[in-house]
Amino acid sequence: MSENIERRRFLKCLGAGSLILAPLGCSSVKEEDSNSNRPHYAMVFDQNKCVGCGECKEACNKANNLPEGKSRLMMEQQSGGVEGQKCSHCGKTECDCERKYVRVSCQQCKNAPCVTVCPTGAAHRDPATGIVTMNADKCAGCKYCIAACPYDARYINKDTDVADNCDFCLNSKLAKGELPACVQGCRYDALIFGDVNDPNSYISRLLAVKDSVRIKSHFGTEPSLRYIPIVKQGV
Amino acid sequence: MDGTLEFTMGLSDGIAWPWPIAVYLFFAGISGGALSVALFIRFYKKQVTNTAFLKASALVSFITISLGMLCLVLDLTNPLFFWRILVYYNLNSVMSIGVIALTAYIPLVALIAMFALEEEIKRIAILRPLLPIIDKLRGIRRPCEVAVLLLALSVCAYTGFLISALIRFPLINTAVLPALFVASGLSAGAAAAKMLAVGMFKEDLHSQDMKILHGAEWPIMFAEALFLFMIIMSLMTGNAGAQTAFEAFHSGSWAMVFWLGVVGVGFMGPVLLNFATGKRFSHSAQAFYLSGLCAVSGMMCLRMFILYAGQNFAI
Ligand code: SF4
Ligand code: SF4
Ligand code: SF4
Repeated sequence: MSENIERRRFLKCLGAGSLILAPLGCSSVKEEDSNSNRPHYAMVFDQNKCVGCGECKEACNKANNLPEGKSRLMMEQQSGGVEGQKCSHCGKTECDCERKYVRVSCQQCKNAPCVTVCPTGAAHRDPATGIVTMNADKCAGCKYCIAACPYDARYINKDTDVADNCDFCLNSKLAKGELPACVQGCRYDALIFGDVNDPNSYISRLLAVKDSVRIKSHFGTEPSLRYIPIVKQGV
Repeated sequence: MDGTLEFTMGLSDGIAWPWPIAVYLFFAGISGGALSVALFIRFYKKQVTNTAFLKASALVSFITISLGMLCLVLDLTNPLFFWRILVYYNLNSVMSIGVIALTAYIPLVALIAMFALEEEIKRIAILRPLLPIIDKLRGIRRPCEVAVLLLALSVCAYTGFLISALIRFPLINTAVLPALFVASGLSAGAAAAKMLAVGMFKEDLHSQDMKILHGAEWPIMFAEALFLFMIIMSLMTGNAGAQTAFEAFHSGSWAMVFWLGVVGVGFMGPVLLNFATGKRFSHSAQAFYLSGLCAVSGMMCLRMFILYAGQNFAI
């Protein structure tokens, strides 16, 4: 028994020793090998705060000059009635279900199928920021990336005929040093954006104290979007 | 709700890859399959003349791959973007590797077709300028044939790998799909080429080539059925995602396409025409063409079913 503990301690030291090689020591080994001195931009969607107003969609449409009525994200209402429609949670037209929304958008996978399958390299990872984005001049419109995205988060921009995804406003806002348009547009602070590799950023500190989940993590794509779900007391 | 948080909406508005892609998979399969079978026979029987079956296969192969490329280009959001796929490469992408294989395959198929159809070319005035080229390249015919055989099989398999990389669809994302596509490409390609050999190049219905084909047909078809059975079983006994995809086989209109088109026409059709009818009918020309058509339409139904039912049942 005690020998076992000894061995475990030894192995731990060995593990920790190898981690010193990485510039920043942080808790997950996986993050280590992918350059922790580089930024890893992430977004948090707080379901507790979202009221489903849709300002994020309008902000996205404007900031990125998208076709009329289109934005790079959607809001899915998962419960609570809209007048005249059935509640998608309990099925009744009138109910007391709490309104719940979920942000549907590119999950900024660290292991992104869209980047792997794109034959031209149009869907690529921006080298400086690590954000999955588009080079519209290279896209051939083959739609392979759209079929390959496990989150169905890509679409064809009708104006340009090329594929598109939410890239945290890389070229429209981040390039100017601003926050993504939807984050700026949200009046209820339901969207938080930042660098999770910076331990002092607000998003890192938030994630350190709040439980958050990733969507369909079983796909193994390591999404960078995190969701803080509504949790009922006592569940 | 079982999971923690999920969403079911998507930004893409429905099916990313519609029917032209299924037609492309179909044509590419026929092209690769027909030429592979013809070259197998040529190597196996050590043939040196241009047999009717080789002529037919080379012609079928060249026409179908050209039509297939046309489908592929027309399905791009803007067909004028086509040059981008040829200019930019990403070696991690199955499609990009396929494009490289196809850029070698298509000219080689054209070359093989020129060698095989030399006599016909001599007879058609506008094609005569090709003759000096054929003469010059005659020396490399053998290496070309070996290369094309390898490429033809790769093209068949590539159409399977291309879509089996789509992890959202359990019916498509299976390990045996490339094998299934090779098997069904071989059987439908051989069927298409033998019809043309008899119809256009006056091959005798009971010639030696036809006998070999007849012997090879059934094992290939059996392999095809086996691969399909493997997919069905793995979905039926699989996890929640696989079970949802299993629905494709018993509900909705695509289940009809599968049972009537793939199983009924594609498998039962040739089997019944050959074994359930009297000897006189089963050796007649009608039965020959009918069973060939069955094999080809069954393959088309299979591609449509896999692509549409596959994309409909996503996880
Ligand atoms: S969610 Fe889809 S579009 Fe976004 S990075 Fe992942 S695979 Fe690519
Ligand atoms: S549609 Fe464009 S971005 Fe998507 S895989 Fe094809 S070339 Fe790449
Ligand atoms: S980050 Fe930018 S591109 Fe992405 S949804 Fe928000 S506004 Fe649109």
